Amino acid sequence: MQNMKMSERIKILKKKMLAQKRYMSVEQALLTTDVYKKNEEKPVIIKRALALQAALEKIEIAVEPEEMIVGNRTRGVRFGVVSPESGGSWIDGELTTLPNRPQDPFQVHAKDIDDYREIIKPYWQDKSLEDILQKRYGRELAAISKVAKINQTDHSQGHICPDCLLWLEKGPAGIKEQAQRLTGGQSLTREQREFYKSVVIVMDGMQTFMLRYSILLKDTARVNGKFASSLEKMADNCENIAKRPPENFHEAVQSLWFLFVVLQMESNASSFSPGRMDRYLYSFYKNDIDNSIISADDALEIIECLWLKFNQIVYMRNAGSAKYFAGFPIGFNIAIGGLDEYGNTAENDLSYLFLKAQEDLGLPQPNLSVRLNKNTAQKLLQYAVKVVSKGSGMPQFFNDEAIIETMMNDLKIEKKDAWDYAIVGCVELTTQGNNLGWSDAAMFNMNKALELAMNHGRCLLTGKQLGPDMGGLERFSSYEELEKAFAAQIDYFLEKMIMACEEVEKGHMALLPSPFLSAVIDNCLANGVDVTAGGAKYNLSGIQIIQAANVADSMAALKQLVYDEKRVSGAEMLNALQNDFNGFEIVRTMAENKVPKYGNDIEWVDNIAAKWAHYFREKLTHYKNCRGGIYHTGMYTVSAHVPMGENVGASPDGRLAGKPLADGGMSPVYGCDKNGPTAVLQSVSRLDNVLTSNGGLLNMKFLPEFFATEEGIEKFSMFLRAFVDLKIPHIQFNVVHREDLLKAQKEPEKYSSLTVRVAGYTAYFTELDRKLQDEIIARTEYSAI
Amino acid sequence: MKKGLIFDIQRFSVNDGAGIRTTVFLKGCPLHCIWCQNPEGISVNAKLVCFASSCILCGQCAQKGDNAVRIEKKQVVIENDKVKNPDEYESICPAGALRMDSRWYELDELIHILKRDKVFFKYGGGVTLSGGEPFFQNEFSTALLQKLREEGIHTAVETSLYTRPGSIEKALPYIDTLFADFKIYDNDLHKKCTGVDNDIIKKNIKFILQSLYRDNVIIRTPLIPFYTAVPENLQKIAEQIVSWYEHVKYELLNYNPLAAAKYKHVDYDYCFSEKLPMYTAEQMAYFYGILKEAGIIGY
Repeated sequence: MQNMKMSERIKILKKKMLAQKRYMSVEQALLTTDVYKKNEEKPVIIKRALALQAALEKIEIAVEPEEMIVGNRTRGVRFGVVSPESGGSWIDGELTTLPNRPQDPFQVHAKDIDDYREIIKPYWQDKSLEDILQKRYGRELAAISKVAKINQTDHSQGHICPDCLLWLEKGPAGIKEQAQRLTGGQSLTREQREFYKSVVIVMDGMQTFMLRYSILLKDTARVNGKFASSLEKMADNCENIAKRPPENFHEAVQSLWFLFVVLQMESNASSFSPGRMDRYLYSFYKNDIDNSIISADDALEIIECLWLKFNQIVYMRNAGSAKYFAGFPIGFNIAIGGLDEYGNTAENDLSYLFLKAQEDLGLPQPNLSVRLNKNTAQKLLQYAVKVVSKGSGMPQFFNDEAIIETMMNDLKIEKKDAWDYAIVGCVELTTQGNNLGWSDAAMFNMNKALELAMNHGRCLLTGKQLGPDMGGLERFSSYEELEKAFAAQIDYFLEKMIMACEEVEKGHMALLPSPFLSAVIDNCLANGVDVTAGGAKYNLSGIQIIQAANVADSMAALKQLVYDEKRVSGAEMLNALQNDFNGFEIVRTMAENKVPKYGNDIEWVDNIAAKWAHYFREKLTHYKNCRGGIYHTGMYTVSAHVPMGENVGASPDGRLAGKPLADGGMSPVYGCDKNGPTAVLQSVSRLDNVLTSNGGLLNMKFLPEFFATEEGIEKFSMFLRAFVDLKIPHIQFNVVHREDLLKAQKEPEKYSSLTVRVAGYTAYFTELDRKLQDEIIARTEYSAI
Repeated sequence: MKKGLIFDIQRFSVNDGAGIRTTVFLKGCPLHCIWCQNPEGISVNAKLVCFASSCILCGQCAQKGDNAVRIEKKQVVIENDKVKNPDEYESICPAGALRMDSRWYELDELIHILKRDKVFFKYGGGVTLSGGEPFFQNEFSTALLQKLREEGIHTAVETSLYTRPGSIEKALPYIDTLFADFKIYDNDLHKKCTGVDNDIIKKNIKFILQSLYRDNVIIRTPLIPFYTAVPENLQKIAEQIVSWYEHVKYELLNYNPLAAAKYKHVDYDYCFSEKLPMYTAEQMAYFYGILKEAGIIGY
C-alpha cells in the first residue's frame, strides 16, 4: 500500500479542479421553471419528475480527457446550483455580494442575474417551500429562533444513505422495469399510481443522461488521441450501465457516481452518503482482481477519480447559513471497516485503498469515516492514524461498541440494519438505504434557555421578552429553584420547536416529493409511497443539544459560587451577566478559575452535562413526527457554535457575551480541558450513548510531533483502543501546526490546499471566515507532554 | 507513613515510558543539577507561589493582615516563612493564581487518581514515578509501587539513584521499568554540576545491573551542552556500564530548552542565560555512534 504512487493523471485532474473558479448556476432552475409553467395542472410529484427528466436530457455536460469517472450536474465543477422550488429568497439580495462575500464566494454571470430576476424569481414567488412556510408560520419560527433553530425551511432534505446495493444490482433499467410492473397493480390509489409513474420518468431520464455522456465521450475520443482508448472504454461503460447493471469495478464506480449526481440534481440537498462502500463494492473488486481485469493500482486510480468527483459538487448557501456551515460541506460520507452481520470485523482491501486515496489527495471530500470495534485489525487502525497525521483531519472514527447497541435498544432498529449502520453528513448516524433520518431537524440552544431562566425570560442582549417569566437569579433561594426555572424554559421552547418541525415536514410532503430518491430508499417502491410522505422503513427526526459543555460549566459555577459556597449572591451574578462582567472582574475570574469544568474527569460537573441532556431527550420521547417516527437527539454543532454563541449573553462560566460556545458537541470548552486528552475521554464517556443516537462529535487537536515516530502512531492507536472501550461514539482530530495556520492567514495563496477539520467535516482553511480561522487556532492543542 | 508530597500528576504522558502513562512527580531531591528540568521539585517543602499570568491584582490576598503576602509594584510578594495557613490564601485568591506548589496525598487517594486511566494503561501504558527524586520519599514510593503492582498497573521509575542501596533493593521487585540517570562520569564535574558525589550512584547502578531485574533497567543521560553532551563523558559512561552488564540498555535524552521558563518560581538560576537549540537528528546519531563504539548494543 505504502509503495503505491498517485498517478500523473490524478495530479493533472486535481490541479485542473482546484484552478477552476466557482460560479452560481441557474441552468437547471430555468429548465425546472419551464416544466412547471407548462404542466401547471399536473400533480406535484409528476412535475418534479418531469423537471428532473428535463434537466437530465438538456443540461450542458462536459468531460475532461484525463477523467476515468465522468458526470456532474453542471458544466463546470463546484458550481452553486439554484433550486427555486425549495427556496432562495436570499439569492436576489446577494447576487451582487456573492462574488465577494467572506465565506464561500461564487462568481455570477450578468446574464444569470437577469434570468434570475426576470424568469425564475417572479414564477416561484409564493410557490417555493420557503415562501409558503414563511407565510404560514414565519412569525412562530422567528419567535423561537434564538433558542430553537429550525432547519430545512428553504431546501430539500438530505443526510440520506441511498440503497447503493440495490442500485448496483438493478441500475436505472431494472428499477424502471420494476416501477412499470408495479404501476399495473390492482387497487392502487391515485397517489401510488402517480408515484410509480414519476419513478419511471426519472429512471428514463437517468438512462438518457448516461447515454449522453457515452456519446460525448466517443466524440472526445475522436479528437483526443492520447486518451482515446480510456475515453472509449468509458463510453462503453456509460452505455452499458444505462441498459444493465454494472459488471465490473469500473462500471460499478461509474454507476454509483451517476446515482449521487442525480440525487443532487433532484434535491440539491446537503449530503447524500455512499455509506459502506468498501463492503458493497468488494465483490466487483475481487472478481476483477481474481480475473486479472484490473490491478490494485488500476483500482486506486479509479477510486481517486471518484474522490475528485466528490469534491466537484458543492452546496451554495446564503451568507448567514455559510457561517453556520462554512466551506460548503456536502457530506459524501463513506464508512469503512466496521462489523459484518456475524459480528466479525469487516475491513478488506478496499478499506485500505480508500485510506490510500485520502492520504494521496488530502481533499475535503469524501468525508471519510472509520468504524472501529474491539476487533479492528491493528494494521487498519495504524494506517488510519497515519493518514490522520497527514493533517487533512480525516479519517474520523466511529465506535461500533457504542452505536449498534443504542440503535437497537433505543431506536428499535432491527439488528440486520443496526450492524450495517453508516454515517451521513458530518457525524449523523443512519441505517443504509431505508431511512429518512431527518437528522438536522433543529438545533436547540440550551444555553439560551438557561439565560432566559436566569433573567425572567428576557434576552440578556436585547432585553426582549422571549420566554415566560419564571423568576430570576436574584429570586431563586436554592439551586433546585434555578433548575426548575431552567426546565420550564426548556419545556416551553421544546413544544414550540416540535410544532415548527411538523410544519416544515408538511411543507416538504406537499411541495418536494422526491421520486428518484424514493426509488433507492427501501419500502418506498414496494409500497408506492414517497420518502417525504413516510415511505421509508425508518422515519426519525434528530434534534441537536447545544451545548452540554457550556451548560455544565455554567450550572457548576452557579451551584458552587452562588448556592454552595455563597461567595457571590444570585443578584450579584445576574448583575454581572447583565453587564457582561464589566465591573465584575472578580466574579468572572472566580467563575473561570475556582470552579471545575466539564472535560477534566470530574464527575459532578460532567454529570450536570448528562443530566440536562437527558432531561431534554426524555421530553422529546413524548412526541412523534409527521412520518410516524420518533424524535431523538444528537450532540454536534457543525460550525454553529460560533453564530449560536453570538446569540447568547454573558454566562456564569465566565464566558463573555457573544463569544463562541464549545465546539464539537461533546467536546469541552476550549482551553478548559486542563487534565489532558485521557481526562477528556473519561468525561465524554459520562454522556450516555442514548443522548447521541443521532450522532455525537468530539473534536481534539494534536500537534504533528505526536505522530512523528512509529512509536507515536502506536500510542495514538492505544488511545483509540481505549476510546472504543469507553464506548464514546465519535472522535476526530486536527493535526496541524499553530504556526502553519498563522502563516496561512497571512499568505492564503500559498496554503490554498491546507485542509482543517471544522466540525464534522473538513474544509479549506483559507476559504473559511477569518473569525472561524481564529477560533480554530485558539482550540486546545495537545503535543506530547 | 502513607503520605507523599506531590508537585504534579500528569496524565497522558507519552515520553516517560511505554504506552500512555500517568506520571507522578514526587517532591524533594538531594541533587541540585544546574540544568534541572523540574526545579520546583527540588525543595522538600511545600510553598505558596503566585502565577502572575493568572493574577488580576485584585488585592484580596493582601487584606489578610499578617503581611505574609503583599502587593508591591504591581506584583504579588510572598514571604513563605511568614505564611501560616497557606490553604487559606489559596482559597482567598479568586483567580486561582496563588497556589501551593505541591500537596500531600494519602496513598489511597493517589491510587484512586492513578486508576482513572486504567483503560488506557491496558494497551501497554502505566504509571511513572518521577520527581524530584522518587526515592527521596522512598517509603511512600515503595508502598505506591507495591500497590500499583497489586492493581495490575505497569510501573516505571525515573531516578538519579542517589539513595541508600537498601531502598532500591526494596522497591526493585515492583518496578517494571527503571530509568536510572548516569549524568557525568567524572566525580569532580558531577559534584560541581549536581552538588553531590557520584560514587553512590555508580555503586547503585552496578548493583541494579547485576541484579535479577537488570533487564528492566534503562540507563539514561540527559544531553546538556558543555556538561554531559561531551563525547568523552558519554564514552566513559558507556564503557563502564557495559563492563557491568553487556546487554545494558542505554538511551540519551535530547536537550530540552523549555525548562528555563520554569525558573521564575524558584530562587536560583538556570545554567544557560541564552537559548540553546535541541540537538539535530544528525547530532543525536553522532552521540549514539559513540555509545555503539563503546560496546552498547541495547537502546
